[in-house]
Amino acid sequence: MSDFLLWWRLALRRFAVMLVKELKQLGRDRVLLAFIVYAFTADIFLAASGVSLSLNHAAMLVQDMDRTPQSRELAARFAEPHFQQGGVVTRDAQGLAALDRGEAMIVLSVPPDFGKHLQKGEPVAVAMQVDTTNSVLGFLATSYAQEIVARFGLESAMRRLGLAGGAAAELPQAANEVRVWYNPNQEDSWFMGISEMLNIATVFAVLLPAAAMVREKERGTVEQLIVSPLTPFGILFPKVVSMTGVILCGVALSLFLVLMPVFAIPAKGSLALFFALSGLYVFTTAGLGLFAATIARNLAQAGMLSILILAPMLFLSGAWTPPEAMPAWLRGLMFVSPLHYYLDIAFGILLKGQGVTELLPAIMGMTAIGVGVFAFGLLLFRRQFD
Amino acid sequence: MNDEIVIRATDFGKRYARHAAVCGLDLAVRKGELYGLIGPDGAGKSSLMKAVAGVLAFEEGRLEVFGLPVGSEREAERVKGRLGLMPQGLGQNLYGDLSIEENVDFFARLRQVPAAEAAARKERLLAITRLAAFRARPMKQLSGGMKQKLGLVCTLIHAPDLIILDEPTTGVDPVSRRDFWAILAELIADQGLTALVSTAYMDEASRFTRMSLLHEGRVLAEGAPQDILALAPGVLVQCRVEPQLEAISRLAADFPQCEAMGPDIRLFAAGLDEAGARAAVAQRLAGLPCQRLDVMEPELEDVFVAMLSRQGAAAATAQPVSAAVANAEGLAIEARGLSKCFGEFIAVGDVSFQVRQGEIFGLLGANGAGKTTAIKMLTGILPPTRGEGRVAGADMKQAGALIKSRIGYMSQAFSLYLDLTVAENIRLYAGIYGLDRRRRDSRLGWILDMAGLHGHENDLASSLPMGLRQRLALGCALVHEPRVLFLDEPTSGVDPLGRRAFWDILFRLSRVDGVAMLVTTHYMSEAEHCDHLALMFAGKVVADASPEAMKQEVIAEAGQLYRLQADNAAALVRPLQEHGFANVSPYGAALHVLTREPERLRKTLAGMGVPADLRERPIAMEDVFVHRVSQLEAASRKGQP
Repeated sequence: MSDFLLWWRLALRRFAVMLVKELKQLGRDRVLLAFIVYAFTADIFLAASGVSLSLNHAAMLVQDMDRTPQSRELAARFAEPHFQQGGVVTRDAQGLAALDRGEAMIVLSVPPDFGKHLQKGEPVAVAMQVDTTNSVLGFLATSYAQEIVARFGLESAMRRLGLAGGAAAELPQAANEVRVWYNPNQEDSWFMGISEMLNIATVFAVLLPAAAMVREKERGTVEQLIVSPLTPFGILFPKVVSMTGVILCGVALSLFLVLMPVFAIPAKGSLALFFALSGLYVFTTAGLGLFAATIARNLAQAGMLSILILAPMLFLSGAWTPPEAMPAWLRGLMFVSPLHYYLDIAFGILLKGQGVTELLPAIMGMTAIGVGVFAFGLLLFRRQFD
Repeated sequence: MNDEIVIRATDFGKRYARHAAVCGLDLAVRKGELYGLIGPDGAGKSSLMKAVAGVLAFEEGRLEVFGLPVGSEREAERVKGRLGLMPQGLGQNLYGDLSIEENVDFFARLRQVPAAEAAARKERLLAITRLAAFRARPMKQLSGGMKQKLGLVCTLIHAPDLIILDEPTTGVDPVSRRDFWAILAELIADQGLTALVSTAYMDEASRFTRMSLLHEGRVLAEGAPQDILALAPGVLVQCRVEPQLEAISRLAADFPQCEAMGPDIRLFAAGLDEAGARAAVAQRLAGLPCQRLDVMEPELEDVFVAMLSRQGAAAATAQPVSAAVANAEGLAIEARGLSKCFGEFIAVGDVSFQVRQGEIFGLLGANGAGKTTAIKMLTGILPPTRGEGRVAGADMKQAGALIKSRIGYMSQAFSLYLDLTVAENIRLYAGIYGLDRRRRDSRLGWILDMAGLHGHENDLASSLPMGLRQRLALGCALVHEPRVLFLDEPTSGVDPLGRRAFWDILFRLSRVDGVAMLVTTHYMSEAEHCDHLALMFAGKVVADASPEAMKQEVIAEAGQLYRLQADNAAALVRPLQEHGFANVSPYGAALHVLTREPERLRKTLAGMGVPADLRERPIAMEDVFVHRVSQLEAASRKGQP
């Protein structure tokens, strides 16, 4: 029994000195510290306030070959804030050239006799050329334009039937009444801010333990540790614990200093639960960092390997693309990205106010994959010393 | 000799942030000189050399190369075409995946040498350096010595007037080092070159025409080797007295430069001649039986240490390590057929040796000989491919925490946490080894005493000079009072004074505390400190005996060592070999000859009309190494026709 107690006392003493060492080392690395603070504050602020997924001020040119009140009215309906009219063109080639040069995103061509056809009650088409290099914006521009043209057509038709103004309301129509939940003002900043915070936490969860481990390799201090009675687990456990602590501080910083006060994110659920699960996520994801540190010989290699690991992880998480939009085989892969579950958990707690019961599947998925990843990292790390 | 000045530095100074690397340095190198910069790491050698080559900006003073100032980048461009620079590090400026020939061709094109001229010069240089046979071999597969020779060829391909070589021989085995210096001397004489060369090996200093001894950014002494030797007159005494510990403590009172060399004691008797030194030593040792006493001329290193001490730069003299003489029985370390292969490459092949408690065991060899790999297998860092390493009777492969807490390890380059302070480093290792608070504090005090680190407790390890860093690393390795200590090149880059203080600590640890030590080194002069040696060459142990026995064996095989001083001594090598003196090698400006027939040698020299000064010298470990390796190389040449 006393042997057992002695063993624990020794193990705890070793853990404590190693933990203190890691924190001191990180505390003296001013550059890394500044980078961490920047990433968890300014970067998240920029992502939340700057990145928007809506169509704003899309540059537009009009080729009006009709020059009637009807054609002018249609063109005028493409207005701020979605569209910004940049002038007129007279020939087809001009419009195409403007698209090629990137000066315009949309060129609307109204054919000759557009007004005449409308007055006669004949169907007529307008041509619309859209630059869809950015597929999201292109898609939005196309759908807005379709809606504007369709409404214009409907109203012209009704006017011709003599149903102007209030009379239109008496027509049989289905109206769409939307209730917006969880993000009532549909603010991009909420989604972008939280996603960015989780992405940053993921990046550091991989990078920091990898860097801390590789630094020891580079300096040769790791050999000093291997020769000591420390086990491989005893070497890396304090590292991962201290780095997890640092990252949780970073998450707290961005949540309490940026997201909640500046962007009024409500944090509806239990913050304790959020931090506990964040801790679990960061700790298990560190396994990937250990994997990188095992293979890499120096800091530069570890950094590049981490990027290689992180890129598919972030891409498969659903933070950048909704899972439903992905092809089926990729959607299957998403279930192995721990960030995918963490994302569900974070949005669930912060915006929806979910608790353990609602999040249980996500928590279990994240735990299972995380433990697997950490065990994998640990196994590889140990094997390099055998 | 031409008196034209090629390099002139006036009050030259270079700072890095707040730290002054060089300060107030004056220097003049004449055309055709082989000028040496000698000093430990951090003395300012590299800073000066880079500034001369025009690749480092400096703040203070004036620097002229070929009579042109090189204060700015534009000014430096005017002289860059006429000089060649070989930076520090084995093959640092070469491309590992390119062959010898491709490397040379690349540098020729880079320097825009006309193709025909480049081809002719390449052939001549490859012939002189004897690299022509390996021209298709990738650089990374070359030995350290060959890399440095290739570096020299690439530096010379554009026929510069001045070459700057930064520690070209560091980490290269003694045979290749001698080869390198011989080739360099030949090229300088042949092409009217001027060379500025730095080295950390004191024993190479006698090869220079003139030199500067640098220490902490200042010139300590300047001149030809004999001028510098004259600065600290005195003689060297080597004696064997029992009991050694008492003899040392008696002698150290009168002779501050006194140290243990294995079973011997070596001291520098400043200001005394041979008779005076014998008398002074005999008086001090009255009553102790003296088995042997030799008096020799001092080496440059002794002078360097004497001058440093005179400057008050005395290293903290080590305290007695502990009171009780520990039990020193039994085997501490044992290697049994230890082998390590990396793919096809055999880094260590079938190495066996034993180290007893209380013994200092030296593992000697050049870079790449397999020393570090062997030590890593013995400490359990690397698993052996075959064989086993045992420490205190246990196989290191399965070593548990108990065995691990009995060994201490100091790795190459003193792997300390540079971003922690001195005290934090010590406390960290104390915690790792599970020391409780009381014991930790007492060991902290002991280490600060031992390493002379009082007053530095709260300094970051990165701010310490190399010598202190080295002793802190030793302290960290000793924090748990291990019975077995592994030291991997513990003295590289440390100045001679620091090295001596360090060996003094090791000596006391072994003699008083009975700690067993396995030390690797590529400084042959340090091998003399060991009780027992194993010589490694290309992954194999080629000799395993005490230094004394190794020397006696060579003497029995090849005769006594004689130093031959003569004008243009290098030219005598071939004629002497033709007269049947097989073991002749250049040593600085002189020759070292191993022979059993000194009288015939004298007669031969007289017959050749050479007025020569021939003196018997005690044989040194470097001579042993060179002799053994030359034999092996000759044998392997015969073995594979």
